[in-house]
Amino acid sequence: MDVTFWGVRGSIPSPGPGTVRYGGNTACVSVRLPSGELIILDCGTGARNLGISLLAGPFGKGKGSATLLLSHAHWDHIQGFPFFGPFYVPGNSFTVYGGRSGERLLEDVLERQMAAQFFPVQSFRNMGARMEMRPMGEDRDVRVGSATLRAHANPHGPTPALAFRIEAGGKSLAYASDAGYGSDGPPQAAVDLYRGVDLLIHDSTFTPEDRALRLERGLSSLEDAVDCAARAGVKKLALFHYDQDYSDHDVDELVARGRRRLAEHAATGIEVIGAAEGLTVSL
Amino acid sequence: MRIQFWGVRGSLPVPGPRTERYGGNTSCVEVSSAAGTRIIIDAGTGIRRMGKELMRAEFESGKGAAHILISHTHWDHIQGLPFFAPFYRAGNKLFVYARQRDDQNLRSVLSLQVDSPFFPVPFHKARAEVAFRELHDGAQFEINDVVVSCARLNHPYIATAYALSVDGAKVAYIADTAPFTDILFGHEFIAGPPSPRSLLSKSDHKTLRTMRSQVVRLCEGADLVIYDTMFTPEEYRQTPHFGHSRPSDAVEICHDAGARMLALYHYAPDRSDAEVDAVLASTRKEAKLTAPKLDIVAGFEGLDLALGKG
Ligand SMILES: [Zn+2]
Ligand SMILES: [Zn+2]
Ligand SMILES: [Zn+2]
Repeated sequence: MDVTFWGVRGSIPSPGPGTVRYGGNTACVSVRLPSGELIILDCGTGARNLGISLLAGPFGKGKGSATLLLSHAHWDHIQGFPFFGPFYVPGNSFTVYGGRSGERLLEDVLERQMAAQFFPVQSFRNMGARMEMRPMGEDRDVRVGSATLRAHANPHGPTPALAFRIEAGGKSLAYASDAGYGSDGPPQAAVDLYRGVDLLIHDSTFTPEDRALRLERGLSSLEDAVDCAARAGVKKLALFHYDQDYSDHDVDELVARGRRRLAEHAATGIEVIGAAEGLTVSL
Repeated sequence: MRIQFWGVRGSLPVPGPRTERYGGNTSCVEVSSAAGTRIIIDAGTGIRRMGKELMRAEFESGKGAAHILISHTHWDHIQGLPFFAPFYRAGNKLFVYARQRDDQNLRSVLSLQVDSPFFPVPFHKARAEVAFRELHDGAQFEINDVVVSCARLNHPYIATAYALSVDGAKVAYIADTAPFTDILFGHEFIAGPPSPRSLLSKSDHKTLRTMRSQVVRLCEGADLVIYDTMFTPEEYRQTPHFGHSRPSDAVEICHDAGARMLALYHYAPDRSDAEVDAVLASTRKEAKLTAPKLDIVAGFEGLDLALGKG
């Protein structure tokens, strides 16, 4: 299983010389299963570069298919959708899974993003590829091709955000972007979702100090991420979804602090990395 | 008159090493008069850093005022608005202007962006005083000491060009527009380039001619024209239906209007810094023949120009 990061930033893309190393694009991760199937996690602006790389293969000829999992409908998780090249090639097919996003169904959410006031294509029906939208069941296994998927809704300010677990070919990955746990930490169901995975990609938007000032945002600090990793006994933790104001230097510091925090847990077997655009982790 | 560029990119923000010099943020330009009137044109992601800058002064204490002119509500022209810090400070006064629409008022279009499930903070929780003003094509009005004029542009869902005059200087802002020759854009979806046989109707031709002459009039004698130059000639041939121009279109308009300086603007997301350098060089070279008196620069994040007095 190959996991590649295309966008690692939270809230809004943050271009500029200060973010060149980790990258300024918003959330998007691709997962290539051992069978060759493709799963895409979230569709922030990083999806544009993923799309460009996919067009060099079967997706460029209208022969590609993939599953897209959307954690929630905040802009930084869907704003790359209109700019994902493979959506515009007839013959490609996509199954999109998402939560109910408040009262609104997935299709309605994506359609509103494409509406004439906001985007010239006016409707995702005009994009060309075949798209099927499905609500994702929570806390139960769903079989998609050779993979077993499971989702759990984490608290995230006023709207929940889905965390996903993907298992295939004896390897496992959990993706938990945008998680704002209560003061007693992650609920047992979330820890169960992350349990023993080879790679946990976890929201680490803030330092603990910055998080304390912005609790209402419903996002994690690096300590929340590290504590989850330790409790769930994961093998590797990738910090993810950095605050838009954090420079590469600030993110270096987040990673260093994450490693020190792990040492406090005496969970020294866990490897901590900082997710960066272009980085591939092979499991 | 002082003009500062905060975002020069079209379509979507493009972070990364290839765009470091010109910048990856979407459309946003700030114009301020010597007397202190502050006008912001478009609210792409570039407005976020400007907002942080404003919070160092009177906006921090809730005593700031700014006028935001929106060319149109495509994402790359409004997506920075929810991240504009002065919105969240009580006492600040913000005036938002855009073209009047038949179907939906400006406040409700912009509200959609920050409503659930897209954004956690809805409009009514923004603490600043926000007022909306809708404009008709060809409107002319004053913002304190600044005279603002508007003209319709040729773009899907229709965009507005603005010209601002103050301190004895004039700047025109033209994003986004297609040339006024091949397609007449309105509200309908256009799926592809026009077929070679489908000619524009006489009345569409006339509408485009009129539109162009009004844009030229808007730019008449301008000290600076900021113009959508998203496409290379080859890209325009392939996707004329996207509604954007080439540098040669911008040069022609500037020449016809007798403008002094052109700033290339609203670059395609794929355009690297080196490619913008090359576009600038070739545009200058060609303009030596077609518009010898025109000064040409390429807009970049941080470009700061002083025109007229002040
Ligand atoms: Zn997010
Ligand atoms: Zn979110
Ligand atoms: Zn634009």
